[in-house]
Amino acid sequence: MRVLIIEDEPRLAENIARSLREIAGYAVDIAHDGQEGLFMAESSEYDVVLLDLMLPQMDGMQLLGRIRQAGQRTPVLVVTARDDKESVVALLNAGADDYLTKPFDLGELLARTKALIRRGKGQPSPVLSVGDLELNTVNRSVHRGGRLITLTAMEYRVLEYLAHRPRAVVSKTELLEHLYDYNWEKFSNVIEVYISGLRRKLDDGSSRQLIHTLRGQGYVLQDGTQPG
Amino acid sequence: MNQEHNSDTHRLIRPGSILRGSIKARLITIVVLSQTLLAAGLVFTGVVYTHQRLLSTLDAGMQARAMSVAALVRYAEDASGNVYFDETLMPASLDPAHPDLFAVWTERSGLLTRSANWPAGLEVPPTGSDHWNFKLAHVHYRGLRVFQVPVLDREEGKTFRPQVLTIVYLAPKIQLDAQVKQAGISIALSSLLLLGATVLLALWGIRRGLLPLQELAAQAGLVSTHNWELHVPDDAQQIRELRPLTQSMTTMLARLHHSFDQQREFLGNAAHELKTPVAVLKSTLQSLLQRPRASEEYRAGLEHSLEDLERLEQLLQWMLRLARAEQWAHGALRRDLQVIDVTATCEEAVERTRQLAESRKATVHLSKNGPVLFRADPEDLQLVWINLLENAVRYGPEGGSVEVAVTRENAGPSRIIFEDHGAGIPAADLPHVFERFYRGDPSRTRATGGFGLGLAIAKALVEAYGGTITADSEPGKGTRMTVELPVGHN
Repeated sequence: MRVLIIEDEPRLAENIARSLREIAGYAVDIAHDGQEGLFMAESSEYDVVLLDLMLPQMDGMQLLGRIRQAGQRTPVLVVTARDDKESVVALLNAGADDYLTKPFDLGELLARTKALIRRGKGQPSPVLSVGDLELNTVNRSVHRGGRLITLTAMEYRVLEYLAHRPRAVVSKTELLEHLYDYNWEKFSNVIEVYISGLRRKLDDGSSRQLIHTLRGQGYVLQDGTQPG
Repeated sequence: MNQEHNSDTHRLIRPGSILRGSIKARLITIVVLSQTLLAAGLVFTGVVYTHQRLLSTLDAGMQARAMSVAALVRYAEDASGNVYFDETLMPASLDPAHPDLFAVWTERSGLLTRSANWPAGLEVPPTGSDHWNFKLAHVHYRGLRVFQVPVLDREEGKTFRPQVLTIVYLAPKIQLDAQVKQAGISIALSSLLLLGATVLLALWGIRRGLLPLQELAAQAGLVSTHNWELHVPDDAQQIRELRPLTQSMTTMLARLHHSFDQQREFLGNAAHELKTPVAVLKSTLQSLLQRPRASEEYRAGLEHSLEDLERLEQLLQWMLRLARAEQWAHGALRRDLQVIDVTATCEEAVERTRQLAESRKATVHLSKNGPVLFRADPEDLQLVWINLLENAVRYGPEGGSVEVAVTRENAGPSRIIFEDHGAGIPAADLPHVFERFYRGDPSRTRATGGFGLGLAIAKALVEAYGGTITADSEPGKGTRMTVELPVGHN
């Protein structure tokens, strides 16, 4: 998962980013003003945007309007110091999905971010299951047929993304987009390494394959037969 | 309701304060006093007039009766010219308990006769005033002397000189006194009735008259911090005497509303400004505690927290400074002020910002034109200059220059100008630079450590001294801040 933080207070942005990286294992980008934020939101694919309202260059509300006008469906969590009813209503009406008032609790921010990502991908439950595979996004544990599977951080991130979009074809480019932040050199053959590692660990002792490869298109997480 | 109740108990406790405490009581007192005075005057003039009228009637009656006494004096048959009093024809007295008295004197032989009931020891001489009053056996009497009364009895062919009589007639005034008393009582009674009616009417009138005031009070009671609108009832609007009150209430409410809104806005802004540093601090500590970390990480986190805390502390200090400046601007802290040299305070301010200027490699030029005198607290003025200087140095280019000029044109207002050659202020921001917490570019000011309060403080202080502060700026060329201090303050 990849998150964009648009926040002009550098230390606050850094603290949120650190928390998202360390606890949730997300790739995080930070924009320090509205203009930069808009550019990044438009040029890369994010699974959630954390937006401060008081921003230099471009106001958060304005930015939100621009994103929604462009038809972007990315969930937006507004982090604001204003908690009066009018501004909350205004920002929800402007297309925000949720809001959090400063000062906030990092744990709450994390939980809300996860919930927004799930809902953005049509997954209401924090425990994602595909066939006999169960992925718990809260404690980041993976079970198959009741058996605990130990994954590396990167393998988990790949599987988590695929599990949010079961039965969909996910290209290597999409995976790269959503798993690495802006500053990372993206090599597509790295994805192949993680996929093969995941296959080995998931399918160990099971007759049914979960991750399928569609040549030239990408990967599908699906129970059983190879999709046509 | 409550208030009325209170004033009632108040009245019970200290009856002496009724007059001071109630318009109604005052008006009623005035009505009662004037009515009483009127009634007293009416009773007095009524009594005097009635007495006067009855007395003249009595006098006329007594005159007539004295004449009838004179008619009873007859000449003797012997043609000697002597007279005698024919008592047999004397009519009975009107009041048998207090009969009239009379005495008759002749010019020739003195006392002719006295009425039979003339009390012993009563001496009334035949000379003296025509009318007089006296007391006889506790009864008021009226006395009448009639002089030169000719004997009315005519004798055919008489040759002697006719006799002339002096008659004294005394009548009791019992009836007259009773009538006067009666008249006095009836006038007093009707006045009293009138007084009662007037008081009732006045009470009703006052109640009616005060009704608009009560309605106004009820409407005023509805005014609160959620409802600043004072609805003046039509009744109250029409009453000329209430107009100054309603007008001053409306303007007072408008002023209160404005300052309340300002306070609320300030509070909102302040809360907003405080939330971000608190959020930073909290997130730093929380992320530090998320997992076990190396001691260097803890150290870095704590150092960051301390920095943030110091910034928070600074923000609080600035906010307090602004609150003080604004309080002072509202005249809450009038102090004894001395006449000081404005130029000297500028020199001091330049000295106090030297370190910041050096760190930005900026030079500050102060052009002086001799002492400029002004009545002020030097600390206040220095704070204004320091705020302006810090802005000029911070937002000017590194290694740039700042010009400060203190001028005064022949006894006109003193003018203190701060000019930098920095990026200037965008035209859109210019009208707002003196607003509290206003920052044209938050990210830049954050980097340079401003809170958006310095200019608001400067403005509050300058205005406290009756001065003005204006900002002119040309983007790309620089900014000029002009402070004008009025003449009257030196």
